[in-house]
Amino acid sequence: MSRFLPLHITDIRRDTRDAVVVTLRPRPEDAAAFDFTQGQYLTFRHDFDGEELRRSYSICAGRDEGFLRVGIKRVDGGTFSTWANEELSPGMMIEAMPPMGRFFTDLDPAASRHYLGFAGGSGITPVLSIIKTVLKREPKSRFTLVHANRGINTIMFREELEDLKNLYLGRLAVIHVLETEGQEIDLFTGRIDAEKMAALFENWIDAASVDTAFICGPEPMMLTIADSLKKAGLDEAQIKFELFASGQPGRAKKKAVSKDAVQSGDMTEAVVTLDGATRSFRMPKQGESLLDAALAADMDVPYACKGGVCSTCRAKVLEGEAEMAINHALEDYEVAQGYVLTCQCYPLTDRIVVSYDE
Amino acid sequence: MTDMTIEDYLAQGGKLTSPGNVPARYRGELLRLMASFVDSELAGAAGFADTINDAPGIRNRIAAAKITQEKLDHAGRVLQVMGEFGGDMAAYDRRHDWAARVDRDADLGAARHGDDMRLSVFHYPLQGYVDAVVLNVLMGLATVVQLDEMKRVSYAPLADAFREIAPREARHVELGLNGLRQIAGTDEGRAKAKAAIEYWMPRVNATFGQSGSKRYDTQARFGLRHTQNDKLRETWSQRATDLLLPMGLA
Repeated sequence: MSRFLPLHITDIRRDTRDAVVVTLRPRPEDAAAFDFTQGQYLTFRHDFDGEELRRSYSICAGRDEGFLRVGIKRVDGGTFSTWANEELSPGMMIEAMPPMGRFFTDLDPAASRHYLGFAGGSGITPVLSIIKTVLKREPKSRFTLVHANRGINTIMFREELEDLKNLYLGRLAVIHVLETEGQEIDLFTGRIDAEKMAALFENWIDAASVDTAFICGPEPMMLTIADSLKKAGLDEAQIKFELFASGQPGRAKKKAVSKDAVQSGDMTEAVVTLDGATRSFRMPKQGESLLDAALAADMDVPYACKGGVCSTCRAKVLEGEAEMAINHALEDYEVAQGYVLTCQCYPLTDRIVVSYDE
Repeated sequence: MTDMTIEDYLAQGGKLTSPGNVPARYRGELLRLMASFVDSELAGAAGFADTINDAPGIRNRIAAAKITQEKLDHAGRVLQVMGEFGGDMAAYDRRHDWAARVDRDADLGAARHGDDMRLSVFHYPLQGYVDAVVLNVLMGLATVVQLDEMKRVSYAPLADAFREIAPREARHVELGLNGLRQIAGTDEGRAKAKAAIEYWMPRVNATFGQSGSKRYDTQARFGLRHTQNDKLRETWSQRATDLLLPMGLA
């Protein structure tokens, strides 16, 4: 189960108008738990008016820098990122889970590799961690970064990247592609598309020399770049992805409102949605789980362990009340939002509305 | 810039990278897929463990021990990816008796049985060394074909895990083929192996699932699958025949 630990905020720096860089320090006893690998992320939690929100932000520090640091860009309407940009200050504590994620490759001090990174906007955050760590720990390797942004003022870590170029002369190349600002070379103006990628490979980057490519950005950019990399001859194992936050809902969602109190009948009318299709069936309140009842009604609902431990059968109660016999998988905040493990779920009300799609 | 839905992104071959960005239905299908792999490896290892004692000669016993150990390791790797979705993975492992088997002549078809998600083939008991070697070869070949498909899965951390696992599963098949060649060297051994092939062939065949499966469509929509069951089955069947033929076993 996930475990949140307190982190002490030691420094806050505004990087662009919309982004802050937050330096964090774990308690001495938690130092080992926060010993991250380059490219990993931290999941934070915070309570907003009684509702817990969790958000993941990539670490931007290198492994040898001796501190933990994340970059948080404010998303329009984003509760968490707005709070982080406006309210955080040095001296505060914030809770986070130990680092997670596999957006990295193993390093070898003797290796002489060429890494290629593509970062869209704040997608630079984990890529920066990788760049710093690779250049430090693989002295013969080099890194080419293609950094896509709207305009020059929105480029996160612009100065830090310049400093790295000077520190590791000849080993870090940075190509800025700016959507709204013309540059001397046309190729570097506009959005990254298939045509730009082809031109990059023709004139600027030798695809055959690339050992591993890292891509972090929004969905369309990831697709375009991955596709072009494959056409240029890289195989799937050479391309590492990190999709950033856009899949996360921006606003806090209210808990499902239960319309009924516990009711006395023996049977429940269950209304279950799966893949956009809704079915109703009657089931007893005792003796049969909601999952088994849905399976008996010929619904192809997902499950695996049937023991309340794996969470494959998770669904959301939209109306009515239910109780769970065993729960080793859902956390309090998920239960508060109405999620249940359907293999352990027994209705308490005469009607229950459940969705596997939410 | 991000006006693309996750569904469109997946339909175009996009990869997801953490529990935080998977949609609810995707999550269910992904966890189910991982549970099927984990349960099959755990049940497979539990069944194969007896072969360590049954195998003739120290080299063959080392091969059986290595296969058993690595299958447990593979289960552990995928279980770790599952655990990031919040479940209690120690409790998960304790939930089932992975060595439990049905009767040798039971007929489960392709259906799941009991409360775990192991492939039906892992519910049948092994009968001695030759039987174990034959299942290891036939099911090992199937696993290699299935992993080739799973390496393309749209959940990147799982694809990475499968890419690490695949070459080692391929090595298990080679070890099995070495054993099978020794067995097929005598008339008696060849006859035993043929009987075992006859028993296991349809049961391994069933692990590829039904043709035109509805679940496949759901999985394909999410980028969790790319090749139809029948196509994978055909690849496996062809490879099995190609390898068994020179040994006089097909």
